[in-house]
Amino acid sequence: MTTLRRSGRYAVLVLLALVFLIPLLWMVITSVKTYGDAQRIPPSIVPNPFSTHGYDQILGNTANPVLRWFLNSMLAATLHALLVLVTASMAAYALARMRFRGRGLLFALIVGTLFIPPTSLIIPNFVIADRLGWLDTLLVITVPGAASAFGVFFLRQFFISIPAELEEAAVLDGANQWQIFVRVLLPLSKPALATLAVLSFLTNWNDFLWPLYVLFSPERLTLPTGLGLLQGSYNTDYPVIMAGAVLASVPVLILFVAAQRHIIQGVSRSGLKG
Amino acid sequence: MIQNEMSRRRLLGLGVGLGAAASLTLAGCGGGSATKSGGTASGNGGKDYTGPKVSLNLWNGFTGGDGDIFKKLVEQFNSEHQNIAVAVNTYRWEDYYSKLPGAVSSGSGPDIAVMHMDQLATFAARGVITELDDVAKALELSEGDFAPTVWKGGIYNNKRYGIPLDMHPLGFYYNKAVMQKAGLDPNKPPTDKDEFTAALTELKKSGVQGFWISPFQFTGGMTFYSLLHQWGGTLFDADVAKATFNSDPAVEACTWLVDLIKQGHSPANVGQDADYLALKSGKNAFNFNGIWQINDIAKDPNAQIGVAEVPQIGSQKAVWANSHNFTIVKQRSADNNKVSGAKVFINWLSEHSLDWAKGGQVPARKQVRESAEFKGIKDVSTLAPELEYAAFPPAAPGLGEVLTTFYTSFNEAALGKKSPKQALDDGVAKANKQLEDNRKKYGS
Amino acid sequence: MADVIEVGAAHRDAPPPAGSKTRGGATNRGSRATPYLFLAPYLVLFGVFGLLPIIFGLWLSVHQWDLQLPNRPFVGLDNYKDLFDSDSAIYGDWWSSVRATGIFTVFSVPLLVAVPLGLALLLNRSFPGRTFFRAVYFAPYVLGVAVIGLLWRFLLDANLGLVNRLLGAVGLPSDTPWVTDVPWAWVSLVGVTVWWTSGFNAVIYLAGLQDISPELYEAARMDGANGWQRFRNVTLPGLRPVMLFVLTTTILASANVFGQSYLITQGAPGQQTRTVVWRIVDEGLRDNDAGRAAAMSIIFALALIVISIVNFRFFRFRED
Repeated sequence: MTTLRRSGRYAVLVLLALVFLIPLLWMVITSVKTYGDAQRIPPSIVPNPFSTHGYDQILGNTANPVLRWFLNSMLAATLHALLVLVTASMAAYALARMRFRGRGLLFALIVGTLFIPPTSLIIPNFVIADRLGWLDTLLVITVPGAASAFGVFFLRQFFISIPAELEEAAVLDGANQWQIFVRVLLPLSKPALATLAVLSFLTNWNDFLWPLYVLFSPERLTLPTGLGLLQGSYNTDYPVIMAGAVLASVPVLILFVAAQRHIIQGVSRSGLKG
Repeated sequence: MIQNEMSRRRLLGLGVGLGAAASLTLAGCGGGSATKSGGTASGNGGKDYTGPKVSLNLWNGFTGGDGDIFKKLVEQFNSEHQNIAVAVNTYRWEDYYSKLPGAVSSGSGPDIAVMHMDQLATFAARGVITELDDVAKALELSEGDFAPTVWKGGIYNNKRYGIPLDMHPLGFYYNKAVMQKAGLDPNKPPTDKDEFTAALTELKKSGVQGFWISPFQFTGGMTFYSLLHQWGGTLFDADVAKATFNSDPAVEACTWLVDLIKQGHSPANVGQDADYLALKSGKNAFNFNGIWQINDIAKDPNAQIGVAEVPQIGSQKAVWANSHNFTIVKQRSADNNKVSGAKVFINWLSEHSLDWAKGGQVPARKQVRESAEFKGIKDVSTLAPELEYAAFPPAAPGLGEVLTTFYTSFNEAALGKKSPKQALDDGVAKANKQLEDNRKKYGS
Repeated sequence: MADVIEVGAAHRDAPPPAGSKTRGGATNRGSRATPYLFLAPYLVLFGVFGLLPIIFGLWLSVHQWDLQLPNRPFVGLDNYKDLFDSDSAIYGDWWSSVRATGIFTVFSVPLLVAVPLGLALLLNRSFPGRTFFRAVYFAPYVLGVAVIGLLWRFLLDANLGLVNRLLGAVGLPSDTPWVTDVPWAWVSLVGVTVWWTSGFNAVIYLAGLQDISPELYEAARMDGANGWQRFRNVTLPGLRPVMLFVLTTTILASANVFGQSYLITQGAPGQQTRTVVWRIVDEGLRDNDAGRAAAMSIIFALALIVISIVNFRFFRFRED
């Protein structure tokens, strides 16, 4: 019975994995084709001939500073995620645990903006970024999106679900709000914080529209906008783009594999909830 | 869809310009500075520059192999000029025209921008680029040097805003191997309607759908644009006040194309770029495509793709074409040294213009087109005669979105969503409203 | 909006006795300034990049506003009127884009809520190779839209693509117009999006599943509940807050769809798969009518707020 169920599970898992993997496999195959071979109809399943053309262009051609774009994206996404975590968790703590004038209104305002598509604010935001002198800088792809209504909303809900009793011991020990926040609440919130960090990181990492319009210098582009540049006009050099995509996605996947334990398994709050 | 015909394609036409730029030392820069600094002469027409070191920003949309050639030339220029540093920013055309206004208004924009002729009016009307009449005058450029349409395309409200560098028409590409297999003479591509349809019939007999009709601007839309003019139609009336692409000739041209699908000479639902990829892989025989593909075909030594003038299917010769222009961008604060440096750069570039023609583009300037050296560049010069009858888009501000409407109409007809007449009627109704809006906005 | 406030107010309006610590309740420790100090960093960001752009957007929407043209006249509600006036040039495009975004959202959201939940349940229990499968399902998400768009346009081409070729090989119709005709284009866009982003939602579900006490399952099992009953009575209620989160973010993400149709179908046939965000960006940046783009944004945002309120009311989640 259990064996049957287990093999059934594996069958489903493998089948699904194929659906997810085949297009990616196609990407990898294309990345080692020649320019002409990648456009052949019907497509060749095995690269003929095998070619490092795509990778040579990515790694060897200084006109395509993919490594630089990758680092830019990493830096921007990391700083962005940190900024979201710090500001949103502090604000969420105040909204979840403190009473103050205007709290209801403030929370309503924040939740209200949750549903406003950020893309629709691209023009006002552009003008604001210009006035601040932030265009074509790291700041412009790091800070504006960090006014995360999601983050505040998400963490507030999470904080509320944590029994306040846990903070009592700290209060009795004479801890102040900041100490309670940092020593009690944040450690208990690791899964939520990890989830928010990953969400913020990836949102920033995958953002395409905003960096497209606020970055100008080739060496300051992010990875998606940079790879977009490689996608030339009429004749797309598929191997080059796919090679770039492979090189850029591998480190992020490794990060994911390392982080997913934290996100998912990090802190089981079982026992607290029961 | 795509905003203007250049979008999403790198046009080999590499602005560079070739002959056009030849001798033209964009003294034009002077135009911009004159209004701001009282017309102090900036430099000596680009012969040299002896002032302090200047950094210049140049924007273009050459994302393909043309961009590599361009960058290499710029590197050479920079190494030969110690006091001028030109930095090149390249974006895809479809991003380029959305990105430029914001960059310019924020002061992060280029000093020199490459633009298509149908975009000049929009940017001129919006005050992004500077008048260049004095440049043309200083360089003694005149209409006689250029194809009249190209020359006039740089003019908006009787003022010149762009210096034409090249022209890039549609060409006729044919797969010799496929023709041979179908019993056709691979060295005699069809030149008129009868030969063309006869060839398609022969191809069909050998099991080949010979001429794939792409529903997208690239290249079905541009093919329709060409045929519409071949049938004697136009997109707009003379004042660009009314859209006319639902006239009888237009409907007939569109019907002729759509019928090719019904007759089995093209599959339905041809995807973006599928028409051209199929040509290269021998899945079809004929494709009307931009001159920029000459370079692409050259990448495959085994390709048996020939290039010829677009056949005359309708009652007259006509072909889609566009042109790259150099423009000078208005700056928040004028700098005469930069202007002088820009002139030197353009001057130098024009001296290397034949290197560009070798990359696959027709120089806008007659003198270069007629040179023996240019005629030696086989495929490119094959398409040069098309310049005489090329149908360039008109100059009117805000035309980009109206052209999108035109291409969308064709998309609906080619995908069988509407009859040709219905699709074009609907398109014209909308285009007229857009033209009306533009008149209000730009006050012309 | 009122109901959203109510959600937050649910516990607030039951003031705890002085000194007591109600679960999740607000307590007052520290000085009066403390809450504002905690809020300050966020509020600076929120003010400058959250509220200011909205106010500025409202202002834009009543002007004919161009980044370049110096003359930016006040036009009252004209920008809004144009969107509802069937004689205006923008009317057809605008409503066609609303329809496109609506179709995409209606079909993608249920799948993006359900499929990742299935994945999460599969991946929740411990078994050899679990990390590998988690990585596989997540992998597409780390690719940007530029890459997945290009990849799928090539794979889905009606005449040349691998998808039709594989279908033909197993005896299914091989001429489906995946990217040039409806409804197939919708199937493609929704399918690609599910493929692309399911792994991400699954991770959030997995985090949520960790919060459900194993003892609850144990108790249910002792009561004789079968797998389905345990799912219905333990898993689903336990996942409610997470589900609301997934649902809300997914609706927003789907409503913001742009890159997929821009790159894969390019709006075809005609403009039927051209979405609202695409229309707004074109209008504001390409066609330089930031005022009209702002009016569109505001109507769009209002619609999403209404949908989200309905969504919240449906879930009515509270702490208990």
